[in-house]
Amino acid sequence: MSDPSHGNLEKYLYPKSNYKWEDAPDPAKFSECVHCGMCLEACPTYQQTGLEAHSPRGRVYLIKSVAEGKLTLNDFFADPVNTCLDCRACETACPAGVQVGALVEEARGQLYKEDPPAGLRGVLHKIFLRGLFPYASRMRKLSLLTRWYQRSGVRFIARKTGLLRILPKHLQEMEQALPNLTTKPVLGRIHERLAPFGLKRAKVAMLTGCVMDAVFADINEATVNVLRHNGCEVWIPPSQSCCGALHVHAGDRDTAKQLAKQNIDTFLSDDIDAIIINAAGCGSTLKEYGELLKSDPEYADKAHLFAEKTVDVSSFLDRLGLIPPKGRLELTVTYHDACHLAHAQGIRVEPRRLLEAVPGVQLVPLPDSDRCCGSAGIYNLTHPEMAGELLDRKMNDIPDGCDAVVMGNPGCMMQFMVGVVRHNRNEQIMHTIQLLDLAYRGEETSTEAERAEHSKASRSQAS
Amino acid sequence: MGMDSQTKALIVGRLEQMVGPRAVLHRYEDLVAYECDGYTIHKGVPSIVVFPKSTQEVSDVVRLLHQNRIPYLPRGAGTGLSGGATALNGEVVISLVRMNKLLDVDYANRKAVVQPGFVNLKLSNSIASKGYYYAPDPSSQAACTIGGNVAENAGGAHCLKYGVTTNHVIGLELVLPDGEIVRIGGVPDAPGYDLLGFLTGSEGTMGIVTEITVRILRKPQGVLTVLALYDEVNDASQAVSDIISAGIVPAALEMMDRTAIEAVESGNYPVGYPSDLGAVLIVEVDGIAAGLQEQIERVMEVCRKHRVREVRQSRDPQERTRWWANRKTAFGAMGTISPDYMVQDGVIPRSKLPEVLARIGEVSSKYGLRIANVFHAGDGNLHPLILYNSMEDGEKERAVRAGSEVLKVCADVGGSITGEHGVGIEKMEDMRFIFTEEEMNAQMQVRDVFNPDNLCNPGKVFPKPARCVELKRSAPLIHSS
Ligand SMILES: Cc1cc2nc3c(=O)[nH]c(=O)nc-3n(C[C@H](O)[C@H](O)[C@H](O)COP(=O)(O)OP(=O)(O)OC[C@H]3O[C@@H](n4cnc5c(N)ncnc54)[C@H](O)[C@@H]3O)c2cc1C
Ligand code: SF4
Ligand code: SF4
Repeated sequence: MSDPSHGNLEKYLYPKSNYKWEDAPDPAKFSECVHCGMCLEACPTYQQTGLEAHSPRGRVYLIKSVAEGKLTLNDFFADPVNTCLDCRACETACPAGVQVGALVEEARGQLYKEDPPAGLRGVLHKIFLRGLFPYASRMRKLSLLTRWYQRSGVRFIARKTGLLRILPKHLQEMEQALPNLTTKPVLGRIHERLAPFGLKRAKVAMLTGCVMDAVFADINEATVNVLRHNGCEVWIPPSQSCCGALHVHAGDRDTAKQLAKQNIDTFLSDDIDAIIINAAGCGSTLKEYGELLKSDPEYADKAHLFAEKTVDVSSFLDRLGLIPPKGRLELTVTYHDACHLAHAQGIRVEPRRLLEAVPGVQLVPLPDSDRCCGSAGIYNLTHPEMAGELLDRKMNDIPDGCDAVVMGNPGCMMQFMVGVVRHNRNEQIMHTIQLLDLAYRGEETSTEAERAEHSKASRSQAS
Repeated sequence: MGMDSQTKALIVGRLEQMVGPRAVLHRYEDLVAYECDGYTIHKGVPSIVVFPKSTQEVSDVVRLLHQNRIPYLPRGAGTGLSGGATALNGEVVISLVRMNKLLDVDYANRKAVVQPGFVNLKLSNSIASKGYYYAPDPSSQAACTIGGNVAENAGGAHCLKYGVTTNHVIGLELVLPDGEIVRIGGVPDAPGYDLLGFLTGSEGTMGIVTEITVRILRKPQGVLTVLALYDEVNDASQAVSDIISAGIVPAALEMMDRTAIEAVESGNYPVGYPSDLGAVLIVEVDGIAAGLQEQIERVMEVCRKHRVREVRQSRDPQERTRWWANRKTAFGAMGTISPDYMVQDGVIPRSKLPEVLARIGEVSSKYGLRIANVFHAGDGNLHPLILYNSMEDGEKERAVRAGSEVLKVCADVGGSITGEHGVGIEKMEDMRFIFTEEEMNAQMQVRDVFNPDNLCNPGKVFPKPARCVELKRSAPLIHSS
C-alpha cells in the first residue's frame, strides 16, 4: 500500500473500492455516520417509501459499501443516489453533522463518469446543463423567446390545438404555471453599477442566477431595488456565469468547477463587502465552492474567500439592519422554508423577521414548513412521481385564508406554481424580496387586488 | 442458514402475490442497507425484506414462512442498539414501517391506538394541540417506532417519574409465530397472567406486534429545568443521590461526563459547555404549577452543597429545548469524535456510581479505548459508550471485550446488563453474568410456548450453548418442537 499522504486517501483506506475517478465520496465524511437512524424521519423520500436505501442513513451506508467493494457503480446503486432530493433535511437532524448532501453529490460525480446520463435525463442534461445554463446569452434568448411565445398568440394556439398534450403531464403543468414573463432579464440590461438611495451603507455585488434571471427577472429587479433602499451600492458584473448548482446535483462536477472558477475570477476582481444571492439553491452551492474546488491548488483558497463573502439576501438585510418599508400591505402570508435556505444554510428566522417588518403583513405558520416541496433542482423533471407526491402534501399543508405563500428560492416557486394550478388554488407565490419591494414601492392593497385579479384571469385563460 | 435460490424464488413469488411486488425486496443490492440496525458490530444480509401493510398481510406472510420453516424477524426503524433487528443468518425481514398509522385517539379514556410502525414522537406531536402527550421518550424518539419500543420495553429521560413503555401499554394485537392473530389486554388490570408485561420487552421473539393501545397523559401544567455544571463527576453523582433521598421526584435526572460533553459540543446541537467540565447534570421537575418553583429551588440547593461550579434554571422554553436536543443527540454526536462506538446499557444502584465510574475508567485504560458516559442518573441506567475505530486491526474485538467487562462491573455491584436497549445479539453471552443455565432454560421454555419452532427472530437473547444444555437436560415444559 502506498503512503496516504501521496496518493488518494480513499484508495489507501479502501483498497477494494469501486470508485474509479478522482473526487470520490470522502471517507472522512462517511465514517462520521454512526448508523443511529436519527435522520430517517427527516428524509422526505424515506417518509414516502419507508425504504432504508431511500433514507440518509441507507444512502451513506451504500456509498460506503461501494468503497468497501460490496457494491459497484451500477443502476441499483444509482437509484438510491439519484432519488435523493439533495434537500439536506437529514443534515439538520444528524447529531454527528454528517454531510449527506456532499456525499451524494460526490457519488453522483462517479456515476456520471461511469455512465453518462441517457434517455430523458440525458436529453434534459444536454439541453439544460451543458447547452443552456452555462451561457448567460442563451438563457437571455430563451427568456425572450418565452416572452414572445406567451404574448404572440403562439401560446394561445398551442393550447387550443392541443399541441401541448404531446408533452409529459408535469411539463404541461409547468407550461401552464410558468409566470407571465413581463420583465426582461436584468443581466446586461440594467446598469452595471447602481448607486444607493440615500446614505451608502455597503457595497455589494449581485449574482443574478440563470433560472432566476430568465424566469423571475422581476425578482432580480426587486432585489436591486430593495438593496438600494437599504443603502447598498449594487454591482452586477456582466462576466458572471451560472453558479453550477444543477451541475453539482447531477454529478457533472467538471462543468461545475469551470463555472465556479469563472465566478470567482469575476467577483473577486473588485473590493466588495458581500456577494448577494437571492436564490437559495445557488446560494448553498456558492457557499460550497470551497468544497467543490478543495483539490485545486490554484483555486482552493480563493474559493473559500468567495464562499465567505457569499450571503443570501435575506440574511444580509437582516444583519445589516433592515430600513423598514413604509408602505402598508394588508396581506396574510405563510412562509415556506426552502431546503437550501433552512437546511443547507441554516437561514430560518431572518426571512420571517423581514416579512414581519412590513406593516400590515400577517405571517401565519405553515406546518412542517421545512419539508421539501419536491422541486429540488430538476428533480421534478427526472422523478415526477416522488416530486408530485411531495407537492401534494405541501399544498394540503397551506393554511386556509392565505393571500400568498412566500419563499426564497425560484425552484420552489415554480413547483408551488404548478401546485396552484394542479390544486386549483388562488394563493400568489412570491419571493420574500418581492413582498418587501412591494412595500417599498408603497403599493396599496388595491393594486395588490388588481394583481391577484390579473393572475387569476391569466390562469383561467390557461384552462 | 439462508435459502437455496429455488426456494427463494418461490417464496418471493408468493410474497409478491400477497403484498405486491413493490413491497418485496430480494436483490442483493436492495438488501445491503438492511445489514444491521443501530448496533453495527455484527451484520447479516437478509434473504428477503417484505413490507406488509395490514395485520392480515403480516399474518399471511408469517403463515407462509412458518409453513416453509423459514426463519424471519420483525424490524421497525432499525434504531435498536443490541442487534435485535439484524438478520444474522439471512432471515427474512418483516419491516413494519409501512404500517405507520395513528388509528384512534380516545381523549375521554386517555388512550391511543397505533400501528407498530408509527413513530414515537409523532404520537406526542399529533395530540399536543389537545394538551396531551405520550410519556416514554427514548432519545431516538424522532425515529424509532412504537412497535420497536414495545419489543425493547424502551425507556427515556422522563421515565424516572412516569415509567417505561410497559407502564403505558394497555393492549396489543399480535401475530403469533404460526400466523394466528391474537388480541391481548385492552382493559386495565385484566384477570389472569400479565401477558402484556411479559410480551413487552420480548425483543421480537414472541411474535409480531401489529397494533398497540397506549396510555396518553395530559401535559403537565408546568416544567422547570436546571443545569448544574461540575468539575468532578463524583460531586455530581453525590448530588444525584441527595436529590432522590431528599424526597424530590424529578421528571428527569440526566448526567454526562467529560468525554460525552466533548462529543455533544462538537456535534450539531452544542450548548456551549466549557471544555474542562467533569460532568453536567440536567434536572427537570414538572406537574401542577404551584409549588414547582419551590421544588426546583430545593434541587438547586442540593446541587450547591456539592461544589457545583455553576447551577442555573432555563430562561425560556427555547433554552430548555436546546439543552434537551443536546442531550438527546449524545449517541449520534459520538460520530464527531470517533468513527465507531458501542453503547452499553448497564443498570447499577445509584449509590455505586462513583465506584462504577472508577472501574470503567480502569477498563478504558486496560483496553486503550476511550469511554464516554451518558447516564439516566435518576434510575441508575448507565450508558458507557466505548469509542473505537473498526478500520484499525483488532480494535472492534477489543471494544467488544471492554463492553463485556463493563457489564460485568455493573452485574458485580448488584446491577444488571440492560436497562432499556435489550439483549439482542450483543449481550447474549453476558446473560451469564446474571442468570444460571437453569434460569435461562426456564425462560427459553416460556418462549417455546409462543414460538415453538424458534423461527421468529432466532439466535437472539440467549447464548447458544445454553440451548444445547437445555436440549440435553430438561424436557420442554409444555410444547415440544
Ligand atoms: C441515538 C439512539 C438513542 C437511543 N436512545 C434510547 C433511549 O433513550 N431509550 C431506549 O430505551 N432506547 C434507546 N435507543 C434504542 C432504540 O431506539 C430502541 O430500542 C427502540 O425501541 C427501537 O425501536 P425501532 O423501531 O428502531 O426497532 P428496531 O431496531 O427495528 O427493532 C428492535 C427490536 O424490536 C423488534 N421489533 C421491532 N418491531 C417489532 C414489532 N412490531 N413486533 C415485535 N417485535 C418488533 C425487532 O425484532 C428487534 O428485536 C436509542 C437508539 C439510538 C440509535
Ligand atoms: S438530502 Fe434530503 S432526500 Fe437526500 S437523504 Fe437527505 S433528507 Fe433524504
Ligand atoms: S447520517 Fe447522521 S443521523 Fe443519519 S444515521 Fe448517520 S450519524 Fe445518524
